[in-house]
Amino acid sequence: MRLVLKAAVCMLLWLSLSAAALAHASLISASPAQNTVLASAPSQFVLQFNEPVSPLALTLVAPDGSRTTLAEFRLVEGAIEVAAPAGIGKGTFALSYRVISTDGHPVAGAVIFSIGAPSGGAAGADQALDWGLRSAIWAVRVLVYLGLFFGVGSVAFRQLMEPKGGAGRPLGRAAIAGGLVAAPLAVGLQGLDALGLSLAAIADPNVWATGFSTSLGPAMAIGFLAIALAAVAEWRAGGIGRSLALVALLGVGAALAVTGHAGAAEPQWLTRPAVFVHAVGIAAWAGALLPLFAALRRPVPDVAALRRFSRWIPVALLPLIVAGAVLAVIQVGRLEALVDTTYGQVLLAKLVLLAGVFALAVYNRLRLTAPVLAFNVEATRRLVQTIAVEAALVVLVLSIAALWRFTPPPRALALVEAAPLSLHIHTDTAMGEVIFASGATGETSADIVLMTGDFGPLEANALTLVASNPAAGIEETKYPAALQPDGSWHVAPLQIPVPGTWTIRLDIRVSDFVMTRIADDVVFAN
Amino acid sequence: MLNKTLLGAALVLLSATGAFAHISLETGEAPAGSTYKAVLRVPHGCDGNATTSIRVQIPEGVISVKPQPKAGWTLATTKGAYAKTYDYYGTPLSEGVKEVTWSGGNLPDEYYDEFVFRGTLAGVEAGKPIYFPVIQTCTTGEEAWIEIPVEGQPEPELPAPGLNIVEAVGGDD
Repeated sequence: MRLVLKAAVCMLLWLSLSAAALAHASLISASPAQNTVLASAPSQFVLQFNEPVSPLALTLVAPDGSRTTLAEFRLVEGAIEVAAPAGIGKGTFALSYRVISTDGHPVAGAVIFSIGAPSGGAAGADQALDWGLRSAIWAVRVLVYLGLFFGVGSVAFRQLMEPKGGAGRPLGRAAIAGGLVAAPLAVGLQGLDALGLSLAAIADPNVWATGFSTSLGPAMAIGFLAIALAAVAEWRAGGIGRSLALVALLGVGAALAVTGHAGAAEPQWLTRPAVFVHAVGIAAWAGALLPLFAALRRPVPDVAALRRFSRWIPVALLPLIVAGAVLAVIQVGRLEALVDTTYGQVLLAKLVLLAGVFALAVYNRLRLTAPVLAFNVEATRRLVQTIAVEAALVVLVLSIAALWRFTPPPRALALVEAAPLSLHIHTDTAMGEVIFASGATGETSADIVLMTGDFGPLEANALTLVASNPAAGIEETKYPAALQPDGSWHVAPLQIPVPGTWTIRLDIRVSDFVMTRIADDVVFAN
Repeated sequence: MLNKTLLGAALVLLSATGAFAHISLETGEAPAGSTYKAVLRVPHGCDGNATTSIRVQIPEGVISVKPQPKAGWTLATTKGAYAKTYDYYGTPLSEGVKEVTWSGGNLPDEYYDEFVFRGTLAGVEAGKPIYFPVIQTCTTGEEAWIEIPVEGQPEPELPAPGLNIVEAVGGDD
């Protein structure tokens, strides 16, 4: 009786030994081959196995991490011929496969290749800049800023402060019209930039869809709405006009808070509200300049508007300056970055101009406001002039701020430069110190030092690094490591096509007959 | 009782087909103390390349190993000391074959072959499986069937052929 029971247990044990056996179908060759860089996108992919297989899942992972399921394939003997999707763009791709071999066991793996050039942090910087597209993006962004700050701002000032005189209106209306055209255009240009296309491809609906899918999409939608509301408020008097203008003013803050470097910085509970306050403050202040200019140029200057402006402008300026300072500190991080990064240089230029604007504002406030309120004609003439100069300086400041679109802040650069990324895998049997040359996506290499679990030297016959990203659907890719004269191991090139959490496994051949596997997760930045 | 036995038998049959993808032992179970004829089944080469050598490590407790020569293959053994002295039909045995290698052959990926040796399961315990790690060398590359499955962990990719040990015959207490 007991014997039979034991026999049954043994049979179950044996089952556990052999039943879960994995497959023996293996990839013999692939087209494109592992780690190749192709000049242009292939028309098809070929995966050649040593025996007939049937695909369970074929996925193409693009450089931006998006996945395309490849449903169109042909089976020829042991090969899977897959039709390549059209217009997949450039960069590093992963063709991830999961097939089932004749014995019913799944086999998975990934072939990594690049079109044009490998993508990712390091490689991206080498790409030729499209100056036409960059200029267009910059100009459109300046127009959006003018529409938001001068267009919406001036309507808000007029509605809420009720100055008399319409001479300044054409400029405010031009800003509104420019903003209404520029906001949607910015989305298309963003799409071109994201896909690496030139201005000629602007009519492609994919470009617009891509642009809208970035954070700039919702931002420009909100911005457009804010400017449109301001346009309606421009022709509405009374309570409705005032309410619309107020909502539009808040919309300016919302539009900028949902996008951009600053809003994306951590901690977001601080940065997003800071961007919101900063943007609303700019609109309130800059927007007042045009109507004030117009009100003071009238034959009989409307000094009541100036009085109201003088009274509340400190309330708008203080939060504007505090929020700006908070963002600058978060973005720049250290003082040297003001000089040695492009982002810092742009900020510095902006600060110098702002110093001029503030000096003018203080001069206006301390030396001119009182005489103007006392109907001094000479002081009024000079105030009109300084306001014009102030407005021109603000336009310059906005033009410079629009350059930030092209400069990653030192905060983000620091994230990328966090390389070399290191990973420490420690188990009872073995320990691996893996140092990746770059912590960013793209092509990198790895140096590995092996030790025993108690920090003794570990001499291995062979070492294979296995990288996979289950969350992104990228199956295991094996990289044999080369033994270096100093006893460490080196893997190059190593392809990390998408950011995120990667599982790194070390298959250590301790001796001919002993294999140890250790693994851990590591996060690669964008 | 009968049901359990039938179920066990059915499971064994199922598992036998699943194991065919790997290098495995034809007889997956043997009583402790018995003389065991190991038939290593080699179902394929390395990634499509022909097999040129099969090298087996003999685990501790398996003594008096004798490999079967194979036409077209050069047979070699490596001898060494056992961890302890075993009693082999009254004769103390403290050393013997630790490794068996069939080399110089050519077994294309499309063909199947078997490699045979016998040995005595002297120092083994019922319920504790033993493993025969195998290194398969091919015209290009090799496959190392050397990983020992660990309970609670995923099945290794290239497991070492395993043998379940059952109660010695007539040893039903």
